[in-house]
Amino acid sequence: MASVPNKKMRGRAVFIAAILTLLGFGLVIFQLYRVQLVEGEAYKQEAMSRQLRATTISANRGAIYSSDGQVLAASATSWRVVFSPAGITAEEAELLADGMSEILGTDRAFILERAQNKKSFYQVIKTRVDKESADAAYQFALDNKIDGVTLLPDSTRYYPYGTMASTVLGFVNADNEGAYGLEAYYNSTLSGTPGKIVTAKNAWGTDMPYTYQDITSAEDGNSLVLTLDSNIQSVIEKHLATALTEHAVQNRATVIVQDVTTGAILGMTTMPDYDPNNPQAIVSEISLQKLAQYEKGSDEYKKAFAHEQQVQWSNKAVNEAYEPGSVFKVITTATALETGAVTMNSGFNCTGSYVVGGITKHCWKHAGHGAQTLAQAIQNSCNPAYMQIGQRIGGTDFYNFFRAFGLTDPTGIDLPGEESGYFYSEAQLNSTQGNLETAAFGQSFKVTPIQLITAISAAVNGGYLYEPYVVDKILDCEGNVVSVTEPTVRRQVISEETSRQVCKLMEGVVTAGSGKNAAVPGYSIGGKTGTSEKLDSDRGYYTYSFAGVAPMDDPKVAVLLILDEPYETDLYGSTVAAPVVGAILSEILPYLGVETNFTAAERAAINAEVPNAVGQSAHMGMAAMTQKQLSAVIVGGGDTVIAQVPEAGAVIRKGSTVILYTDQESRQQKVKVPDVRGKTGQVVNTILVNAGLNLDAEGIGKISDTAVAVEQSIEPGTEVPRGTLITVKFSNSVKQEASP
Amino acid sequence: MAEKKRAARKKTQEGFFRRLFPRYENTSVDLTFLVMVILLLVFGLVMMFSASYAQGYYREGNSYHYIVRQLAWAALGLLAMFLFSRMDYHVWRKLALASFPVVAGLLIACFFMPPVNEARRWIFIGNFQFQPSELAKFSLVLLFAHFLTANEKRMGRFKYGVLPFGAILLVYVGLVVFEPHLSAAILLALMGVIMLIVGGLPGKWIAAGGGLIAAGVGLIAAVPMLRERFMERFTIWQNPESDPLGKGYQILQSLYAIGSGGLMGTGIGNSRQKYLFLPEPQNDYVFSVVCEELGFVGALVVILLFALLIWRGFAIVIKARDRFGAMLVTGFIAQVGVQAILNMAVVTNALPSTGISLPFFSYGGTALAILLGEMGIVLSVSRQSTVEKE
Repeated sequence: MASVPNKKMRGRAVFIAAILTLLGFGLVIFQLYRVQLVEGEAYKQEAMSRQLRATTISANRGAIYSSDGQVLAASATSWRVVFSPAGITAEEAELLADGMSEILGTDRAFILERAQNKKSFYQVIKTRVDKESADAAYQFALDNKIDGVTLLPDSTRYYPYGTMASTVLGFVNADNEGAYGLEAYYNSTLSGTPGKIVTAKNAWGTDMPYTYQDITSAEDGNSLVLTLDSNIQSVIEKHLATALTEHAVQNRATVIVQDVTTGAILGMTTMPDYDPNNPQAIVSEISLQKLAQYEKGSDEYKKAFAHEQQVQWSNKAVNEAYEPGSVFKVITTATALETGAVTMNSGFNCTGSYVVGGITKHCWKHAGHGAQTLAQAIQNSCNPAYMQIGQRIGGTDFYNFFRAFGLTDPTGIDLPGEESGYFYSEAQLNSTQGNLETAAFGQSFKVTPIQLITAISAAVNGGYLYEPYVVDKILDCEGNVVSVTEPTVRRQVISEETSRQVCKLMEGVVTAGSGKNAAVPGYSIGGKTGTSEKLDSDRGYYTYSFAGVAPMDDPKVAVLLILDEPYETDLYGSTVAAPVVGAILSEILPYLGVETNFTAAERAAINAEVPNAVGQSAHMGMAAMTQKQLSAVIVGGGDTVIAQVPEAGAVIRKGSTVILYTDQESRQQKVKVPDVRGKTGQVVNTILVNAGLNLDAEGIGKISDTAVAVEQSIEPGTEVPRGTLITVKFSNSVKQEASP
Repeated sequence: MAEKKRAARKKTQEGFFRRLFPRYENTSVDLTFLVMVILLLVFGLVMMFSASYAQGYYREGNSYHYIVRQLAWAALGLLAMFLFSRMDYHVWRKLALASFPVVAGLLIACFFMPPVNEARRWIFIGNFQFQPSELAKFSLVLLFAHFLTANEKRMGRFKYGVLPFGAILLVYVGLVVFEPHLSAAILLALMGVIMLIVGGLPGKWIAAGGGLIAAGVGLIAAVPMLRERFMERFTIWQNPESDPLGKGYQILQSLYAIGSGGLMGTGIGNSRQKYLFLPEPQNDYVFSVVCEELGFVGALVVILLFALLIWRGFAIVIKARDRFGAMLVTGFIAQVGVQAILNMAVVTNALPSTGISLPFFSYGGTALAILLGEMGIVLSVSRQSTVEKE
């Protein structure tokens, strides 16, 4: 059956069909190939950037613990209130601005300005909002049917101890990134890995109505356990604060306490410091005074403000080099002994001045020290003697040992921004211009405090130069130990024998020389004073410093204190710095469990023999007690002392109370012995004094804040006469392992 | 032999109903074509549902808003298809001339309707709304088929070969252009042109038509205002990133969707671009969603189905029992084919952007129902044709 359309029509029909399918669809297929297969990935990326919303889940930042387990820095979960300007109307924005400014205290104009970004889906209203306020903000949005207000987890860093160790800890910036100190140095360790929630969104910016998300959970940061001990830290900060005010220190002060056997930093502070909870605020009175001369808000003010902030954030112990002055004589001495340039028996003559390179350099004692042994030279801190010692060492050896003591390189301490000072080249030392001689007594070059204390530790610990460190352990978020810092010996600089000699010489400085003010009864302390002229300061200020080491028979701890520019200038390290180090050592040595070894003289200085008051008038008895630095309480109505507790001849601590009875009835009055076990020193003393008893502390001593009473000589509940001496044995509490 | 059969049948048939639905003996519709139609319809409904899901949720508060309506119209359309396929298609010739004033009147009525996006394309009667341009396409096919059949022997003469067609095109295309609805006008014109070519328009007139088009292009180039308008479209077409949030927005979003699909697609239902990024993903940009969800492979399947439909349609044309049937099928296939190609070319940015829907896929109830009805007519033609039915 032939079809009706003729041949021409059939041909044209086939032609049209071919045009449509081949040309038309061919064009479409070619374009699809281009868009989907060739450029597909690029389009896909473009599309995804519009379709997906990645929300960061902040990882919890790890905590920082002191070696005794105190939390120095921790993070608390808080909330970030955000909104999507794209999803709200102008009226809703107004309403939102009203509500949020009231609930969160955010500036109304700030929110309205943010709301102008009509194409944005994410604008922060406020970060670090506590849960209560965040909930209130969210509820407000719900109640007023404002879409697109979201709460995201945020984190707030807080430092429970405020200013304590702030220049070591540093602080975090608004994004919770470490900005200074350990927070910055260990930022990647502490911060962990933030997670991400990828949600699909529609073109209006709201999330899809069904679960379409990809979550990468956050990996919490690790925690740091420091070598810093909160007790030692508070001791050094307490004493340094006193010294700061007492001497009106103009350019801040620093103290470092180092374990000489490992290089670990037990305490480190720079003061005045700041509160890392609010690091932007200037704390230092001196800084505030400087700022007061500018008009608030002016450019000069802003510039000065920024400068003062930099100053208060700086960790002087690590970030600032200074001229060490006479403290450096310890290193010169060690070098001289090690190289054999001098022996313990060498003698030096001081005429009051010494000419080097054609320049007369005076001794601080213009009359001169005359003939001195090495021990006397260091005790006198005699510059002419040390210039001679420097000459005997020679430039090359001096230079080599200076380097060997690690004073030309950063120590490698795990803190940011470590400086390394400057020193002569070997050639400069070997020239005859007096460089060597000046360097020998610690002037005309700079080192950082951490370099110097690390070198001194090496000089006294048997010659081993350690790498100082602040972080002892790194724990993961579950408290498992990730890594432990092993003490690193960089090299042995001097022999153990030389080191022993250095110890002996340093001890001499404290027992018989310029360091007397650092002496602590019961302990063998060594040290060296320093009074260095600030050669680069036009104000003519000085730096006063003292390095103390204890105990000298087996050194455990070194303390370096530097007061930069006290207001008065006619001072010496021996009078300004040494007593502070002595006070610090008197507290931390008992705390560290260093055994006391009182000499008879020291004992006598601490204790008093109770004089006899029986038979004397109450008035006279009391006077007798006061004369012996004991206090007395008269009990009874009589005039004459008929009995006393403790008895005459007993040796008790000065300041203890002797009860003088003036009638028999009172004598019968007994008091119950309270239970003082488990209490710390001061508390025990207070309890016993309140009970009318006297304390005879044994062991670590009541001075320590952490030592607790473990034994008492008379059982609790026993009735004893008032004034009875209760011997209480103290011991350091078992140090708790730090754990989150 | 066919004449004899027809004559014999006529004798046994009585009454209007039997004349309208003749009883065919041993004849069936073209199954291949029917399968293509059903496949496209099912495929189209599924993809329209997927594409409209988010749109329904956000705009109408009901994800099923669009699919429910589309399904109802599809059911109506299938019924029409079934009825029309059983009808003797010659019935439509009687309606051809009558349809002209009705459609022209409806097109004019559009100008009295409220505008949508500054265009008056719709007629609203209560909740019901439809585009008379859809009817114009149907009417155009009927009219062209009628005149091409009536003037078969006189196509060489201007009065018969050009005038009636020119007049119809002038009225329909002219009215549609001024709605304005450029894509529908282009579609109407192309349908007419294809029907004229297949219908045997002499070469000289085809050449003249080509010259007319060239003149039109020349006019656009010559008149600054027209040229600027054209260049603007051209710039957006070549570089949609030049106005990503304005005139380039739609096509960019479409390209993001298509590009995201890659080779295998994101999987059915997984389009992200349909979440309010694509403008009306259920309508003109449904193919973008197909490309995104089913990838290059899925898009090829859709294209293949359309290509097969076109080929099979022209096979029916070639084997059609008479000239009127052939021309009807040519018109309807041209409509489906051109519309599909234009839509796909536009959403893939192969051609400058214009609003044109994809047959079987795009949302639009009346259009779908009319389309299915037309397919019924094609089937009716195939029932009486000489083509192999397997």
